[in-house]
Amino acid sequence: MDEAYWDKEIETIDRHSLQQLQLERLNKTLERASKSQYYKRRIPAKINNLTALKDIPFTTKSDLRNSFPEGMLAVSRDEIVRLHASSGTTGRATVIYHTKRDIDNWTDLVARSMYMTGVRKSDVFQNMMGYGLFTGGLGLHYGSERLGALIIPASSGNSKRQIRLMKDFHSTVVHITPSYALHLYTLFQEKGIDPKNDLDLRIAFLGAEPHSEETKLRLENLFGLDAYNSYGLSEMNGPGVAFECQLKDGMHVWEDSYILEIIDPDTGEGLSDGEEGEIVFTTLKREGMPIIRYRTGDIAQTYPEECPCGRTHRKISRIKGRTDDMLIVKGVNVYPMQIEKVLMDIPEVDNNYLIEIETVDYLDSLNIKVEVRQNIFHGGIKELESLKKRISEDLKNETLISPRITLVEPNSLPKSEGKAVRVVDKRDRDV
Amino acid sequence: MASQVTVFVENKPGRISHIARILGKNNINIRAITISDRGEYGLINIIASDPDRAHDILLKEGFSVSRNYVIGVLMKDRPGALADITEYLNESEINISNAYGFILKSGDKAVLILEVDDFDRAEEVIRGGGFHTLSKEELVNL
Repeated sequence: MDEAYWDKEIETIDRHSLQQLQLERLNKTLERASKSQYYKRRIPAKINNLTALKDIPFTTKSDLRNSFPEGMLAVSRDEIVRLHASSGTTGRATVIYHTKRDIDNWTDLVARSMYMTGVRKSDVFQNMMGYGLFTGGLGLHYGSERLGALIIPASSGNSKRQIRLMKDFHSTVVHITPSYALHLYTLFQEKGIDPKNDLDLRIAFLGAEPHSEETKLRLENLFGLDAYNSYGLSEMNGPGVAFECQLKDGMHVWEDSYILEIIDPDTGEGLSDGEEGEIVFTTLKREGMPIIRYRTGDIAQTYPEECPCGRTHRKISRIKGRTDDMLIVKGVNVYPMQIEKVLMDIPEVDNNYLIEIETVDYLDSLNIKVEVRQNIFHGGIKELESLKKRISEDLKNETLISPRITLVEPNSLPKSEGKAVRVVDKRDRDV
Repeated sequence: MASQVTVFVENKPGRISHIARILGKNNINIRAITISDRGEYGLINIIASDPDRAHDILLKEGFSVSRNYVIGVLMKDRPGALADITEYLNESEINISNAYGFILKSGDKAVLILEVDDFDRAEEVIRGGGFHTLSKEELVNL
């Protein structure tokens, strides 16, 4: 008989013991965090019960940025074995440092999550997420190795190769963005491949992009597999923070490793289970860079009822939105300000642009429209093409996304009066 | 020296007719027109009877427009005439970046419009080869 849990003791721990464990680990976290520049004067040395957590100030994304590069480091640099970073709106990255034990704990959470969905040693796992600074690639990679499955570190892109790998090695599990999965399906059709009969796929982790329940169901039907939603953010390691169990009704947050709070984003007051608000996390096991009461900017709600799967860790709903204007394009987090800053630094573009995000062939497409104004037009095609190239390269460097640049006639874009709408999101929400 | 008016337009229906109508209303004759198509946009090159005025009018109408010198070569309208001049340019190592032509009188005279990399040298070379290049006035009075 197949064991249903990776770590039964922790996964099915009773709520009372879980809370005791949390308090114990929280106090250790406070002790560790107080060694960092940032936290040393901001937090108490110890708290006596979990409700006292609400008196500790929040940590925000800008706090992370302002303490760049090492303001939140709580151990000696020598103890750090890896960093992950995301691009930042001000050109400054958000950096997360991990000790050897941090990586070990993260890996265990990912293995636990994957195991929960039914991945076993006999599986072949094709990881189609980008490797590198982005946490989706390496996070699942090591988790899968810990679990004992055979991993194919395919990384993202190169659809033909992805399809060949799936066929040659009989991949059973994939980690993929929902939009890329839909894109792959159109390629399957062109090549006459029926994924239900010609491939061995049985589980998909849909990551990095918010997607609707309808999209998930559609993918399950098209590919003939079980798709699992998950949630993670690099500040809290990355993948492995919350994952759906096989009942696929909400994502279990691993509360032995994170304290989960839902707050009213306007007042900062805590909300009850079932009420929609901003997710706030506190790391409980992080050594290198503990983060306390981190405001994720993501909106969701917790489920009040217990899960029939037996796990006692609370579940959160799909992410319903953001408290800020962050965009997720091709799985990459981008703020409009980031794009605007790059464009405004190009003299020919200046204030003269419109950012459009569209769905083209199921994939996100970033399209920048720039007016060819009279003062920048000198009659040459070479000049216009090199302008397009320059805009595209500058944006790629800042945001990691290659945009399409469209040159349009003068006075055809909305006029900039005060706060003009310069970002238009035209994506199909339910692809 | 001859000049050509270049207008930036998006690739969408009605742009050429719009420009042609503006010039027509202002009594400007279009001798020749070509389009460099780049997909989402194009550049319309116009040899107009009055390039200066065409340029100013289109600018005032809000178009991004430029005026560039081109070489207008008077040729015979007969088979091989184009080969004669382009072979000669090739021997003289003049690189042509754009070329188009129009007939003045069938079987008699035609004009070849050339955009070249090194304008001054090209004009000198062409004249040196015994070809006639059109002045601004000659082009207006065609």
